[in-house]
Amino acid sequence: MAASKASRLGEEYETPKAAPPPAPVRPRLTLDFPRDRIWKTRIEKVNAELVVLTYGTIVAQLCKDFDSDYVEVNKQLDKMGYNIGLRLIEDYLAKSNTMRRCSNFRETAEMVAKVGFKIFLNITPTITNWTSDSKQFSLVFDENPFADFVELPDDNRAQDELWYSNILCGVLRGALEMVQMQVEAHFISDVLRGNDTTEMRVSLIRYIDDELPPEDD
Amino acid sequence: MVIYSFYIFDRHTECIYSKIWLPPTPNPPPPPPPSTNTPTLAPPAAAHDGTAPLPPAAPSRTGTHVDRRSVSAKAGDDAKLIFGTVFSLRNMVRKLGGEDDAFINYRTAQYKLHYYETASNLRFVMLTDTATLSMRSVLHQIYINLWVEFVVKNPLSPVEHKGGVGVKNELFELGLDQFVRGLM
Repeated sequence: MAASKASRLGEEYETPKAAPPPAPVRPRLTLDFPRDRIWKTRIEKVNAELVVLTYGTIVAQLCKDFDSDYVEVNKQLDKMGYNIGLRLIEDYLAKSNTMRRCSNFRETAEMVAKVGFKIFLNITPTITNWTSDSKQFSLVFDENPFADFVELPDDNRAQDELWYSNILCGVLRGALEMVQMQVEAHFISDVLRGNDTTEMRVSLIRYIDDELPPEDD
Repeated sequence: MVIYSFYIFDRHTECIYSKIWLPPTPNPPPPPPPSTNTPTLAPPAAAHDGTAPLPPAAPSRTGTHVDRRSVSAKAGDDAKLIFGTVFSLRNMVRKLGGEDDAFINYRTAQYKLHYYETASNLRFVMLTDTATLSMRSVLHQIYINLWVEFVVKNPLSPVEHKGGVGVKNELFELGLDQFVRGLM
């Protein structure tokens, strides 16, 4: 495995054949390409049903473990998502080839919806309902790969308490925290509950400051 | 192109990885001491000194002991100094050039320091000889192809790498060494 990775690195650093002879050996820059072209070439695909069934199993197991305490299940899903998000952001940065920060929260929302969700779930939720201070928006999911084949339990409570895809809120929270944005995210409607749309509300709480090196003398 | 050393600092400003490559010719004195591997030698030396509780009686031995300790301590100090420098430079650059501006490298008479910072506040630093062109894209590639692949995606490695935990895994080290040697 190490060898194959290393050779992949090597390939990317081959000098272009057409380069003029006196030119020094220089890494081929891939940074000027349009963003979408880059990540489209780097995406690995995985069977959607595997994802649906795996995620479904996790939620079902949590419901069992917590005796259908759906509030707690939501919390656990969010926590799991958070831990995923902390790591996923690095993969996002690598795949999207983002070399600079978003300049404002609106741009962040665009990148989350159009690049992040596109890379990892191959969907593009719609961004709507901005508040006037540009600190809150909604993501409306026209399709949700996690929710295929899903029916919530018929116990008269799941419909009101369980947010089936709550892991996504955690992922967003974890990922944005790593790029210095503290956000709060929660679902406000879900087609699984009989609502017309699946909508997640995301609010920016604050930008996190850089950590300073400790004073030593 | 000669690459002297490489450092990674996390968002908590801690040096979580450092590696120093010996220059092929020992003539030009590189700025950092060629010494990161010595810490593994330190414990035996300490054990020797411990069995002979007469520090003044063995001047030569205590001499090397102190020397080794100071060398590894110096490597740690170097990392701290480097972080302080790049951190201040980056802040100054942003103040003068706006938030989007980035500090890329600086050069002295002896070496050139290259800097790359990810949006997740991971900082990559590389020291090379003065003739080397920009290594920013090299550092970026190290991040994408080695850090993300072998450190972040390793399910058993922790999210935070306090004290460098999880960074020094075989695949990462091997990949980095091969990659850097391939460039030289």
